[in-house]
Amino acid sequence: MGCAHLPETRYSELSQRLKAQAAASRIPISGDVELTARCNLRCVHCFINQPVGDKVVRGQELSFTEWARLIDKVVAAGCLWLLISGGEPLVRPDFLDIYSYAKERGLLITLFTNGTLLTPEIADHLARWRPFSVEVTIYGHTRKTYEAVTGVPGSFDRCRRGIQLLLERHLPVTLKTMLLTLNAPELEDMIAWAQGLGVQFRFDSMVGPRLDGSTQPCGYRLPAEQVVALDLSDKERSREWRKLFRNNRSELATMELFQCGAGRSGFYIDASGVLSLCIMVREPGIPLTRNSFKAGWEGVLLEARQQQRPEESPCVTCAWLKLCSQCPGWGLAEQGSLEGVSEYVCRTTQLRAAVFDANHHP
Amino acid sequence: MQNNDYLEKRFSKNPDMVFRQIADECLLVPIRHLTADLDYIYVLNPVAGRIWELIDGQRQVRDIADQIAAEFEVSPQEAAKDLVELLGQLQEIGGVKEI
Repeated sequence: MGCAHLPETRYSELSQRLKAQAAASRIPISGDVELTARCNLRCVHCFINQPVGDKVVRGQELSFTEWARLIDKVVAAGCLWLLISGGEPLVRPDFLDIYSYAKERGLLITLFTNGTLLTPEIADHLARWRPFSVEVTIYGHTRKTYEAVTGVPGSFDRCRRGIQLLLERHLPVTLKTMLLTLNAPELEDMIAWAQGLGVQFRFDSMVGPRLDGSTQPCGYRLPAEQVVALDLSDKERSREWRKLFRNNRSELATMELFQCGAGRSGFYIDASGVLSLCIMVREPGIPLTRNSFKAGWEGVLLEARQQQRPEESPCVTCAWLKLCSQCPGWGLAEQGSLEGVSEYVCRTTQLRAAVFDANHHP
Repeated sequence: MQNNDYLEKRFSKNPDMVFRQIADECLLVPIRHLTADLDYIYVLNPVAGRIWELIDGQRQVRDIADQIAAEFEVSPQEAAKDLVELLGQLQEIGGVKEI
């Protein structure tokens, strides 16, 4: 018998250990739940947003009771990290009920929000039932740019107020942005904004089509050359990319289609309760209103996760697969098949390799 | 030998601490107030995890020690010594309170 005690364990060590065990034993330790596809903003680049007042979309959403039942199921299956996203989750009047229920079950919750619907009451509640992290998306540094993206007058001020409400309560906030043609000139200002607030900041520039197939968001995407130029313009980002290229060369052909944690330790549940591999790969989908989580995870999702790449796929022998955003989700979004290759994603990675890989041979 | 008075004590769990058993890990996750720092997720070893399960506000410390001694094949004295130490640590983090 080892003596009974509380070992001194740092969160980062525990997290690494748990993630490794979950991947090895295929435990669904990390889940994303989309409480709604509706949003109070109308961002030009969004892949999912539905009008906040859309009654049909709202009618398809799970109720609090149904979410509570699902939360019990994912907790029983071993989920620890739960990401609550949308749409904008705060458009649901019962958001705090669902959030608190998940907290009471011992989940570590990350909340994705645009921040515009935060009130002192909601922020107080979050301070009492502290989230693991709150990630607020900002769409620009100036009102003009921010609202050119969101399409909603007044949203910039409401977002700033929301961030302030969180920070006043010392909540763990991260700011982030989707970098678009509209807001890219304000990147450095957004970084400075976050630094001034003393919070972390990150950005993503890989804009894809909407879930319904519309390519409208792609009209706001930065050219691959500009994405790489932005990496290059910042010393720290450049150093990070060089290090990644030095340490992540794929030497062997990789046949496994899914390289990420989807279906291995991660899962996705949409607003109507359909379980799938990830936010972008929603087929096969298992309606959890009619099927158990366990059966879906151990059956359909396992099979989906085990799919192999076709031998002729250029990704099979690509040295940069581990560093590339290319994935079945992008294939599906841009080419209509899981095995498809997004030319935009591929070109961005090839350009990065040309710039950051010391051993690059075209 | 532990003080008899202590062995007769009963402890109850803080309902704001949730016990999770995931993979090979036993975790105590504070759900209110205490999680000001991410390091405040507590990891219990298997014996401590079992003790947590046995703390119910009804059993005396002595009962829990006897149960642990039987399950883990150690002497009741050794079990009691470890148990007292763990209960002290759990009290410190607000995980249990004496009733």
